[in-house]
Amino acid sequence: MAVKSAAEGELLNRFWPRYRRVTMTRAVLAQLTVCVAIVAIVLTLYPDLPLDAWALVVVMSAASLALTVIITLLAMRPLKDLSSALVHIAGEPTGLTPPNLNDGFYMRSRLRPLLKQIYDLAMSQGSSPRSDEKSGAPYANIAAQLNHTATGIVMLDSNGQIIYANQSAPVLIDGNGKKSLELIFDVDQNITEWVAERGEHDVHAEKVWRRIANKLTGEPDRRLFDVYVSYDKGSEAETIITLFDNTNQYQPEDDDLDFIAFAAHELRGPITVIRGYLDSLNDELAAITTGDQKELFQRLIVSANRLSGYVNNILNASRFDRRHLKIHIGEQNVANIYATIADDMQLRASAQQRLLSVNIPANLPNIAADLNSMTEVFGNLIDNAIKYSNDGGSIEVIAAVNGNFVDVSVTDHGIGMPSNVIGNLFHKFYRSHRSRETVAGTGIGLYISKAIVESNGGKISVKSVEGRGSTFIVSLPIYATVADKLKALGNNNQDFIERSSDGWIKNHGAFRG
Amino acid sequence: MAIKTILIIEDDRFIGEMYVRSLKNAGYDVDWMVDGNDGLIAARNRPYDLMLLDVMLPERRGSEILQILRGGVDDLIPGTKVVVLTNFDQTEEARNNMEKHADGYLIKAEITPKKLLAIIEKLGASA
Repeated sequence: MAVKSAAEGELLNRFWPRYRRVTMTRAVLAQLTVCVAIVAIVLTLYPDLPLDAWALVVVMSAASLALTVIITLLAMRPLKDLSSALVHIAGEPTGLTPPNLNDGFYMRSRLRPLLKQIYDLAMSQGSSPRSDEKSGAPYANIAAQLNHTATGIVMLDSNGQIIYANQSAPVLIDGNGKKSLELIFDVDQNITEWVAERGEHDVHAEKVWRRIANKLTGEPDRRLFDVYVSYDKGSEAETIITLFDNTNQYQPEDDDLDFIAFAAHELRGPITVIRGYLDSLNDELAAITTGDQKELFQRLIVSANRLSGYVNNILNASRFDRRHLKIHIGEQNVANIYATIADDMQLRASAQQRLLSVNIPANLPNIAADLNSMTEVFGNLIDNAIKYSNDGGSIEVIAAVNGNFVDVSVTDHGIGMPSNVIGNLFHKFYRSHRSRETVAGTGIGLYISKAIVESNGGKISVKSVEGRGSTFIVSLPIYATVADKLKALGNNNQDFIERSSDGWIKNHGAFRG
Repeated sequence: MAIKTILIIEDDRFIGEMYVRSLKNAGYDVDWMVDGNDGLIAARNRPYDLMLLDVMLPERRGSEILQILRGGVDDLIPGTKVVVLTNFDQTEEARNNMEKHADGYLIKAEITPKKLLAIIEKLGASA
């Protein structure tokens, strides 16, 4: 059934009260006019009428007036019921009780088939009339009952507009009465984008988002949902969203993250000292240490560097989740970005007997990226490649132009992954099948890497064959292709990121081209 | 102007000693102050070529010191370069405020003495 505009809905609702008022006024006025005329005629013909005869005239007039009202109401009742049934199946909110088919009146007056026809029409179009609770029909007053569940339910029409939301659903209503979902999506597609894509490809589809918050960390009334969305092309409620409130389960993890951010600051002090003293000692003792001892020094330095990287990952993830991660995009050179971590990466590879080869052509165009955060992404990917490959294995870092992007790929020939784990790979705290037992890590490196790459206007993807190894590809826009858009955003593009504190990644895609 | 004299304002003893040691070994003339007040006084008493400034300091924060020295009408330390060295995760605003008046802003955990020496050399060469 076509959804009506608010104005149309109001007209539906207005018909009956207005019609009743007008008709009743006419009937009463007509009756009064007749009464007054009779009195005038009687007065003219019999000026000396006795008092009891006058009383009779008044009583008769009153009785006929009352009868007129009763008969008019009775005569209009089918019209009232038909119109209230129509308003009802149109889904408009109304003060009228929808007609109950089992009412004896409808049997007697033979109105029942007409009402039933209206309800049947509505049913055949896939809409359930919100019938009177007392009728006991299975679809009785569903909308009202759904307000009693803690599960949020939202229905969207084909334009993505909210046509129904129960009380538990996180919905915002703006000044114009327009409703929107109050949900903050981080790295994944949001519902609107997903639905738009479905419209082009699918007739029926479903997707689940987990751990989606309605407010930022620290804001009051923050809730965390698992969001199930089903899409059915062409139906009245094309998209149905079910939101399970799992705040109790997720909230403690969130609090942990804030605590971690604090702890990370404290950790940096000792890391500074360890890295600094190792750096000095390694140089100063170079002349007297044996080959064996040199290797121990290398391992110490590699471990301290890794520790520092993990602390940065945790801090960045915490910032990202609180929408405090700031990205300063400018013109950068892939070789320069890599140069800042080259020594560290070579050291890490050689300390674990991996061969790290790097091929970044000198004539590669500059990219638009944030230097600091991108070095962390490359550090994470290479560190993973080292962790998930075998002694003596080779790791290749290759940069190449791909359309308007520069692709930087990191390939290892290690344990790889089956395809079913790839979808979860970039989720927070996700650790792949074997990594739980064999390799230490926080499971946060890929999560934050994806967040950073997408914040930079890039993409991250992975190809992997179990037992053969994996390739992670980071695609970043060539600076020349986005320079105009970046400049249009102002020299100080960090303002642009800060301004859009929710969904800033999406806004960021504005210059994606 | 090559950098010769350096003032370090740093309250962590291990970190302070680490910087002092490597900078002295590299031939720099180094003074080290542990709290913010002493650091501010030292900075005003002697025209250093470079000041390494921590943020979380007792008595006076690094941000306050920088504001006093550089935030007014006159730059009170015109001949001094300032590098902020911190492990503290400042808000973007606070960080921007400091970066505006500084020649460098570094995370201590990312900077080994060797890297610091390279950065100081570069700063001196660019002057």
